[in-house]
Amino acid sequence: MRVHELVLIIEDDESISQMLSLSLRQQGYRTLVAMDMQSAHRTFRANRPDLILLDLGLPDGDGKTMIRTIRSETAVPIIVISARHVEKEVIASLDAGADDYVFKPFSLDELAARIRSAQRRFLGLQPSVNVIVCGDITLDIAEHSLRKNSEYLKLTPTEYNLLKYFMLHLNQVLPYTRILKEVWGVGYQHEMQYLRTYINSLRKKIETDAARPGYIRTEMGIGYRFICDTTTP
Amino acid sequence: MKTFIFPYRHYVIALMFLSVTAIISILFGDVLGLINIALLYLLPVLVIALRGDMKATTVVTVVTVITFDLLNVPPQFSFSVHDLVHALSFILFFVVGYTITYQAKRIEANAIREMFLDTLSHDLKTPLSSLLGNISMLLKDHPIDPQMRRSMLLQINDSGQRINRLVLNLLDSARLKNRSGLLRLEWCDFEDIIGVALQEFRYHPKQDQITVRIDPDTGLFWGDCALLVRLMVNLMDNALKYTDEGKRIQITVTGDNSAITLLFFNESAPIKKSDLKNLFERFYRIDDGADVGGNGIGLSICRDIAAIHGGTIDARNCTDGVCFEIRLPIRKASNHPMREAL
Repeated sequence: MRVHELVLIIEDDESISQMLSLSLRQQGYRTLVAMDMQSAHRTFRANRPDLILLDLGLPDGDGKTMIRTIRSETAVPIIVISARHVEKEVIASLDAGADDYVFKPFSLDELAARIRSAQRRFLGLQPSVNVIVCGDITLDIAEHSLRKNSEYLKLTPTEYNLLKYFMLHLNQVLPYTRILKEVWGVGYQHEMQYLRTYINSLRKKIETDAARPGYIRTEMGIGYRFICDTTTP
Repeated sequence: MKTFIFPYRHYVIALMFLSVTAIISILFGDVLGLINIALLYLLPVLVIALRGDMKATTVVTVVTVITFDLLNVPPQFSFSVHDLVHALSFILFFVVGYTITYQAKRIEANAIREMFLDTLSHDLKTPLSSLLGNISMLLKDHPIDPQMRRSMLLQINDSGQRINRLVLNLLDSARLKNRSGLLRLEWCDFEDIIGVALQEFRYHPKQDQITVRIDPDTGLFWGDCALLVRLMVNLMDNALKYTDEGKRIQITVTGDNSAITLLFFNESAPIKKSDLKNLFERFYRIDDGADVGGNGIGLSICRDIAAIHGGTIDARNCTDGVCFEIRLPIRKASNHPMREAL
């Protein structure tokens, strides 16, 4: 991984941007701060950052437009920072091309993990292999099998497809409609009952305690995320 | 029967005043004169108007005017009014009634606002002072031993969480006030909802005292998942506060075709009967000297969230502890997607 990567922080609140800057610098990143969209555009064009943190609540415009503009030029990872109660905005930003999001108030550790995971994806370090290991479960795509510890688990075809989709997108936030479209197919985007039911049965099989899930994390109002700590350095 | 009459108690009181006035007016009508009688008839109107309820004022004033007209305004025992001045006094009854009702409403609104601000400032100031106090100690140059430092940091974290929960509760409460307009109804899985709520307490020292049992036949529920998470978080928060180290907290979810029932049990001393009744009132907190940081908002929001889903919540003492039971009627049946073969 390259050292001293540049993170562009687009945030109008100084206390937040300062805290972000400080913590990112401690982790070895370089940072730049833009207080509004206009200067963000300029800074982005002039400096070509390696990652962007974007606060959705900026005074001078819609963050989604910004995301689309950046996406039309580069695939640089974008993580959206947002207040709660605006899940729709977050989903729209993800659809516009943002990679991930955190809700205010967020923990710096969590943000750091999101940044690392977004970078890994960007650098193509995601597993493209046939065997994906995560904690105590092992998915063998070639063999079409799943093991927890060393015991083989039986999954229905939909459960298997769902888990495979999750494990090919480790640590990534996956909005409901995207999962439904990718696993069930076009036309199923709004069949939330299917998704809820299969998540429930999949959790019963792979989680140690389904009420305290360690793998399939619910992102309230947004979607699900398959947590895989083994890939976190 | 008692619970049926209870909400209409103020009608009963006002009508009692009216009966007494009517009796006095019949017995002493000749001595008192029509003006004094009219003033007497204002009493039931005043009594009801102070409740600040326009509907009640209208009902009682109408009854009062009819009684007055019937019994005392000449010609007696008839609805006909010979002198137009009397019709004017009837209108004045309504003017007085509505004016007082309006004022009473304003005073009540002010009282609620004051209580709200009191609670809010207390609940914000307590964690804020802990936050600022600990931070200023950490900012000083004196060396602090690592254990002390850690405990101060844990307190800062805890205070931050408390402020955050309060803010979320206030936001949800504002959302609830707007009634169903802002509800985001979707299919919710209670196992999922409890998991998200538990996630909020993952660093809580007593969180492993919570056990969860979910009946596998519990279907999906058509509701506002985010609000249901808040319901769970508030009840967990409450249970964690009032349960001592090492004691049990048990969450049980059962469901059938008609309703989903959530039972929160926590091992603790019983709650006084009078407290049980008022537990869900806004700003109510059990006054036992030990301030465990309740804010009197959490449980009232629980009641609002249950109500907005057409359900009920109640608290009772049960063996070894306290039970909160929430019943949410199923208003939209989920059709289980086909079970797949392995």
